[in-house]
Amino acid sequence: MLDGIIKKLFGNKKNSSATAKNRLKFALIYDKLEISDEILKNLQHDIVEVISRYFEIDKDALQLNINKSRDLSALTFNTPILSAKEKKRTS
Amino acid sequence: MEGKIFVITSGKGGVGKTTATSSIGAALAMAGKRVAVVDMDIGLRNLDVVMGLENRIVFNIVDVVQGKCKLSQAAIKDRRINNLFLIPASQSDNKDILKPEDMVSLGKRLKKEFDIVFMDCPAGIERGFENAVAAADEALVICTPEVSSVRDADRIIGLLYARSITPQLIVNRINPAMTAKGDMLSHEDVTDVLSIDLLGLVEADDNVIVASNLGKPLVMIDDSKAGQAFKRIAMRLDGHVDLPIQVPQNGSSLWRKIGNKLGFK
Repeated sequence: MLDGIIKKLFGNKKNSSATAKNRLKFALIYDKLEISDEILKNLQHDIVEVISRYFEIDKDALQLNINKSRDLSALTFNTPILSAKEKKRTS
Repeated sequence: MEGKIFVITSGKGGVGKTTATSSIGAALAMAGKRVAVVDMDIGLRNLDVVMGLENRIVFNIVDVVQGKCKLSQAAIKDRRINNLFLIPASQSDNKDILKPEDMVSLGKRLKKEFDIVFMDCPAGIERGFENAVAAADEALVICTPEVSSVRDADRIIGLLYARSITPQLIVNRINPAMTAKGDMLSHEDVTDVLSIDLLGLVEADDNVIVASNLGKPLVMIDDSKAGQAFKRIAMRLDGHVDLPIQVPQNGSSLWRKIGNKLGFK
C-alpha cells in the first residue's frame, strides 16, 4: 500500500504485469514462427518432387529460406529452371 | 460405467502439478469417487512423499506394465481417505522404459477399476510427457502467473490440441496483493494470452509446504486457501460446472481498507 501512495505522489510507474503480458505475447508469436530443420527438409523434398514433374531443375542450386522480420515471416524458394518437361502427364 | 483419465501437465517444472494431482484426487475421493493418482515421473517420483505414502511402496507402475504384479498390488490404498489409491513411479528406471502403447493398454485397465484417474505428468515435452498423455481423455494444464510458466503452458496446450485434447487451465500460486498492485499477471491476462477455458484459481499458500512436510493431503487442512480452491476445482470436474470460480482476494487489513477508500492500490 505504501508503494501505492508513493506511486500516486511521484507519478505512476508502469506496472510490471503489463510489461510481462506484452513480452509474453511477443514470445508466443515468435515461438510459433520457429520451424524445425526437419520440417524444412521435408518441405524442400516435397516441393522439389512437385516441381520436377514439370521442370528440370538444378537441385544443387536451389534455396529454401524463411525470412523473418518484425511483423511477418515469408517462405522463399529459389530454383534455377534448366528446362520444361515436354512429356504430358498421364492420369 | 467406464472411468475417465485426466493428465495434469504444465511443461515447466515446479508449478504445482504434484500438489494439484494429490489435492484434486483426494477431494474427489472424499466426494465418493473411486480415484487413482498415477505418478508418471519415472526415476524422479514425488507424488508418494507429497501424499505421505512413501513407506508403503512395494510395486510400481513399471512392475504393472511388465506383468511382475497385478494392478491391485501396485495401487496403494490411502488409509485416511477412502477410495483413494496411488500408483507410484519406479525410482530406479528411466522414462524410456515405458512406451506410449504400454500406457494406452494400462489406461484401459485403470478405467475398468476406477471412476477417475489422474496422471501426474513430469516436466518437459519428451517421452515422459508422451507417456502421461497417451491414455488421457482430458487434460488439466497448470501454470503460475509468470512469463516463463505461461509460455511453457502455451507450448503444452499446442501439443495437447495436436492430440485432439482440449485442456482446461488452473492458475496456481496467485499472490493477490501483487496482482492488486499490478506486479503480477492477472488470471484474465493469462487466459487472454492462452485462450483456453479456466477451471480454477489457486492462491499461493504456505500450507502447501506444511502439508507436504507432514505428508498430509492439503484438502484435509481446513483453513488452507489452496486446499479450498482445489476442492472447488474437484467439484467442477465432478459435474458441478455452475460452481463459480473464486478469484483470490487481497486480505483486508485496516490500512489496506483505508488505502482502497482513498483510491490507493
